[in-house]
Amino acid sequence: MKKLSKLLLALSFVLSVATSAFAVTVVSWGGAYTESQKLGYGDPTAAKLGVPVDWVDYTGGLSEIKAQKEAGKITWDIMDVYARDTIIGCDEGIFHEFDFDKDFSPAPDGTPASEDFFTSMPSKCAVGNILYSWNYAYNKNNVKGTPSTMGDFFDTKKFPGKRAIYTGAMSNIEFAITADGVNPGKGSDLTYRKLMADGGIDRAMDKIKALCQDPNGGCVFWNAGAQPPELLANGEVVMATGWNGRFFNAQMEGTPIVQVWDAQILDYEYFALVKDGPNYANGDAMKVLREMTSTEGLAGSAKYIAYAPWRKSSIDIMLAGEPWFKDGKTNMVPHMPTAPANTKRYILMNPEFWADNNDEINEKWEAMKGTL
Amino acid sequence: MSQEQILSSDGIPLELSLKKAERKNKLRALLLVAPLFLFLLITYVFPIGDMLFRSVDDRMITQMLPNTFKSLEKWDGKELPGEETYEAFYKDFYPLAINKESGKLYQRLNYEKSGFSSGLKTTNRKIKNFEQGNYKEQFMKAHKIWKDVEYWTAMKNTAPNFSYAKYLKGFDLTFDQDRNIVRVDEDRRVHITLWLRTLKVAFWVTIFCFILAYPISHLLATLPMKYSNLLMICVLLPFWTSLLVRTSSWMVLLQQQGPINDLIVFLGLASDDNRPELMYNVIGTFVAMTQILLPFMVLPLYSVMKTISPSLMRAGKSLGGTPLVSFVKVYFPLTIPGIGAGCLLVFILSIGYYITPALVGGASGSLISNTIAYHMKSSLDWAFASALGTMLLVGVLTIYWIYNKLVGIDNIKLG
Repeated sequence: MKKLSKLLLALSFVLSVATSAFAVTVVSWGGAYTESQKLGYGDPTAAKLGVPVDWVDYTGGLSEIKAQKEAGKITWDIMDVYARDTIIGCDEGIFHEFDFDKDFSPAPDGTPASEDFFTSMPSKCAVGNILYSWNYAYNKNNVKGTPSTMGDFFDTKKFPGKRAIYTGAMSNIEFAITADGVNPGKGSDLTYRKLMADGGIDRAMDKIKALCQDPNGGCVFWNAGAQPPELLANGEVVMATGWNGRFFNAQMEGTPIVQVWDAQILDYEYFALVKDGPNYANGDAMKVLREMTSTEGLAGSAKYIAYAPWRKSSIDIMLAGEPWFKDGKTNMVPHMPTAPANTKRYILMNPEFWADNNDEINEKWEAMKGTL
Repeated sequence: MSQEQILSSDGIPLELSLKKAERKNKLRALLLVAPLFLFLLITYVFPIGDMLFRSVDDRMITQMLPNTFKSLEKWDGKELPGEETYEAFYKDFYPLAINKESGKLYQRLNYEKSGFSSGLKTTNRKIKNFEQGNYKEQFMKAHKIWKDVEYWTAMKNTAPNFSYAKYLKGFDLTFDQDRNIVRVDEDRRVHITLWLRTLKVAFWVTIFCFILAYPISHLLATLPMKYSNLLMICVLLPFWTSLLVRTSSWMVLLQQQGPINDLIVFLGLASDDNRPELMYNVIGTFVAMTQILLPFMVLPLYSVMKTISPSLMRAGKSLGGTPLVSFVKVYFPLTIPGIGAGCLLVFILSIGYYITPALVGGASGSLISNTIAYHMKSSLDWAFASALGTMLLVGVLTIYWIYNKLVGIDNIKLG
């Protein structure tokens, strides 16, 4: 009996340590991306503050955190989320609302945080983390000539062959309406204004339908980020839309693909602080978040992956430290979606548009796919 | 009546003492079953009950906008409601906006009609500066959704505490302003297509599995032990491999520059620049799913065939039947319980599949379970996800019921 009670005591101790609010838990998307976050700012932050930072993988969306909240046992502190999720999470009261300039550190020259970040945030619960890009790439061994515009992606006469496009409507309808003649300029709101106009969505979908039904074209739908470079490398398609970081990694591995930046969609990734997470009350989670999103912190992750830090001041650090990539010989700034050569013409992702219309557009998108 | 009661040794009627002893045994048996019963209750009955409840529960919004709904009761739905409805909505929405509690409302109403989210958000910002009176005008100035009858219709449709609207949505139906059930706009009818596609995929995968598994199982059941064990491992080995590994292996095999296509070109069945598409269409879905679900058909068939004595076939032949006749008249009917079990198992599993079709099926790869996952994870419309889940469950139960009517459920055998 005595032995048993001792065992129980020990067991309960172990359990209480394992579940105690000690390490700050950050959930992110896994793979090379989480690796860049962990090495770039997770580990340095943990070392500096003396608060361990744990990384947990998830596949996006708010279902898990909502379930945790409903069950009354929240185990996550910080989440790496899409813009749309910060909006929904903020509305549902899952995330903490920031007092931006107070909660986040200013740039080294004293510029307040809200001015150091490239654009304003989609909701009060979001702080920028990286900028990435939806662009397209081609395999130079399989394409005659050099595609250089978004129009070329839809031009099957000049560049015959199949295309790989994202399985959802997001990104596709923006690209399509650009190719149909709506010039996005430098991130102007014309793209989304035209999409919201009567028949705008149909106009974009008709363009994609034409591409997919074209005997010289045809579509392959991808849903995992690793697929586009793979489909290009094995010759399944001649061009593919995708995320620039994945294309960059494939290029570094020697795959003969070329990225086209014309009319790229600049999209963002955010951190959100979970309200009433295990380290919410004691302030540790906020301290970790502040440190990770500092100028040095955000610049750190760009050492490992070709996604741009949100802060203007982080780019300065990178420029001063080139070659910044972990191999010690690749200059990183030209590979950033925000580099001047890459932003001659670009679309700025509008999360408000997608938060409003996602369900309706998705139904139309699936209905369109059903007729292919 | 006149029969004398039999007494046990202590004078109590035998019948009573027997009952008493039996009661103890019954109680003990119940206690033994209790853990399993509790387990089923907690992991099965409660979650499914919760799912059913969620799919019809719509009380949250009624509690948030009581005045508005009361005022909307009198509204005919033809033109924009009058000033008093706008005032009622102001009375409901203003405290929510001040206390920052309006967020859930955006999401709930945006499921009903796209555009509510940003409209309400803008209104939320502006409502703090509203002046007394003339609310209709101020709302219409704040955002254009308040000039649109359709948004009021959508709001009125959310009034009942419990509603089956989500089930209608699952069949591409909706309410119009007079609460008649009508079909949704043509370019948004997607769910019926998805249901039919899901059933079609499940049906064909079951057929292909059956055609492939029957001879394999027969071979397994009749071969000598030392060969059949080896074969059995060949059947089971893929069964133990991760689903994603198997799916991606098929992607490697089936791609246009892949080994299967190379073989087809080598054999001269197709020219090199005109390789057939084996993936990103229904062929890919059928091939990969059939291979993945094959063991679920082989195992029940095998275990039933194993029990069929070989002497029965011999008897059939010795009574003058050709091999074909004795197979059709003797062997096949005896395997029906296994066929039933295998087909039900494969059909039910494939109706809920979505990762494999999404990866190898291309445009045809999105099935009803993908939509459920989307509403669970992305849109957070759990009520609609629950409704679709319930519909899937009812579908499976219907198939079970039909099977029971046609074949009889006692005729099912897993081993």
